[in-house]
Amino acid sequence: MKPTLKIIALVALVPACGAASLLVGSTPISPVQIAQQLAHPHVPGVLNDIVWQLRLPRVCIAAVVGASLALAGAMLQGMLRNPLVDPYLTGVSAAAAAAIAIAVIAGVAASATPAIGFVAGLAAALLVAALARRGGGIDPNRLILAGVSLSTLFAAVVTLVIIGAQSQGYASTILAWLAGSMAGRGWHDLAGIAPYAGVGGLLALASISPLNALRVGELRARAVGLDVARAQWLILGASSLLAASSVALAGLVGFIGLIVPHFSRRIVGSDARALLPACIAIGAALCMVADTVCRRIVAPAELPIGVLLAIIGVPVFLYLYLRPASGAARSSGL
Amino acid sequence: MIELDGIALRIGGRPLLSEVNAQVDNGEFIALLGPNGVGKTTLLRAICGLHPIDRGTILLDGAPSHDLSMLERARRVAFVTGDEVLLDALSVREVVSIGRFPYHRWWQWQESERDEDAIAAALEAVHMASFAQRLFSTLSAGERQRVWIALGLAQSTPILLLDEPTSHLDVRVAHEILALLRRLAANGKSVVCALHDLNEAAAYADRIALLGDGTLLALCEPTALLGGSLLERVYGIGMELVRLPGGRLRVFAG
Repeated sequence: MKPTLKIIALVALVPACGAASLLVGSTPISPVQIAQQLAHPHVPGVLNDIVWQLRLPRVCIAAVVGASLALAGAMLQGMLRNPLVDPYLTGVSAAAAAAIAIAVIAGVAASATPAIGFVAGLAAALLVAALARRGGGIDPNRLILAGVSLSTLFAAVVTLVIIGAQSQGYASTILAWLAGSMAGRGWHDLAGIAPYAGVGGLLALASISPLNALRVGELRARAVGLDVARAQWLILGASSLLAASSVALAGLVGFIGLIVPHFSRRIVGSDARALLPACIAIGAALCMVADTVCRRIVAPAELPIGVLLAIIGVPVFLYLYLRPASGAARSSGL
Repeated sequence: MIELDGIALRIGGRPLLSEVNAQVDNGEFIALLGPNGVGKTTLLRAICGLHPIDRGTILLDGAPSHDLSMLERARRVAFVTGDEVLLDALSVREVVSIGRFPYHRWWQWQESERDEDAIAAALEAVHMASFAQRLFSTLSAGERQRVWIALGLAQSTPILLLDEPTSHLDVRVAHEILALLRRLAANGKSVVCALHDLNEAAAYADRIALLGDGTLLALCEPTALLGGSLLERVYGIGMELVRLPGGRLRVFAG
């Protein structure tokens, strides 16, 4: 199949998964009723509220979170030329977790935690980038070392805060956030974060050509005229914005940012012109489906999405990558 | 055309080369020789803007190199190096197509007809057209070297710099690559190629540039260099010169 057709097929997955997610919930609503409510957004009624105020914003948030993480993961893996890198490498998630944990025990309003997580995550990414600076650009090894070190430090802070919070009854709130969830999120949260994710997405567009040039190594990329230092800052800025946006919307959703780029590469190859759209589509579709399962599998309670993705996704990933390679798998280079 | 005027280079803070003055004309094939660590690779990198110069001026087709943007420089000079990197997922054509990077703005993602022609011509020139869809990782060392040269050719530059393109290659493949560089020079490119084999340099190059003692010691025709004692002094080993029946010269060390 031609790459363009593959991209079209993958992009078609997004509305299909979104529609399926809208159908699932504690109140049975038929596809016709869903369509009617979508066509008339301002008609008062319970069904309209369920569709427009509960399910649709959640589906949209899941799509943004999945697309952002997958996109950020693909960009960082491409820049560092390391398939083990995930979007949280730059300390975004650990710093956000520490800041939000502190905010929770300090009694900060729950509505303010996404913003706190976003700012802390972005600040950590800037700090890691500053530590990894070499000349005008970024040293990939220093970036990984600084990211891992600071993440460990922030994780220790979170552990300390949780130990302290147990006596105050806040531990479960912090743990729920750490496990990742879109429960209780709405249009307001999405509207607050979408501009930043949008800027990250636009910067990702500008990263396509640099990412492709970097596939032949930093030296050769410079030889064909790529300003590698500028490209590194561009890619790091875009991925940090996207990861911080995702953390602010849904807490720590692991797995997607690491694995979706791998799956996408298997399907469309490593050309960023195809890889980035494929990551957006697969990340969004996977996150929507996973969130839907989380909502229903132990209803009326909810399973944290990070837990579900790890339980189902890791065995699938290991099966795909540890079995003897087929011709197609070998040709994907993974 | 390349013009070097009073070039001085440092590496790791220590002086490496100084007072390098040279001119390479269009259509000329220069072999760059010198012992290990003398600065051949660094000089090539400096010419194409990948290593800072301490002093002096580099003119690329008449334009000061430091006045050119990275993209403008990449449209004038291509640098071919054999350093290995993992390229498991890339086809031969994908690798070569990256040579067209200097001709695209960041939003221009689609290949133009000119790009396709340049990529096809580059693959054809190195006799790799039938390998276009092969994975780079499945190629032999010689085939990979030809792909790297094709990447440089796809840049469509008037100047081509190569860093030891024949190292690790068998005699036949080395001959094919040097003959290709000879043809490229005959078609008007300025070709500068760092080599270790004195006889390869003598057989294919128009002139030999010899680096030693921290500077450019000679830039002359092969016969002028092979016949003198300069090579023995620079390499620190005795050399025997043999003239073959056809008139060609061969040098043997020791």
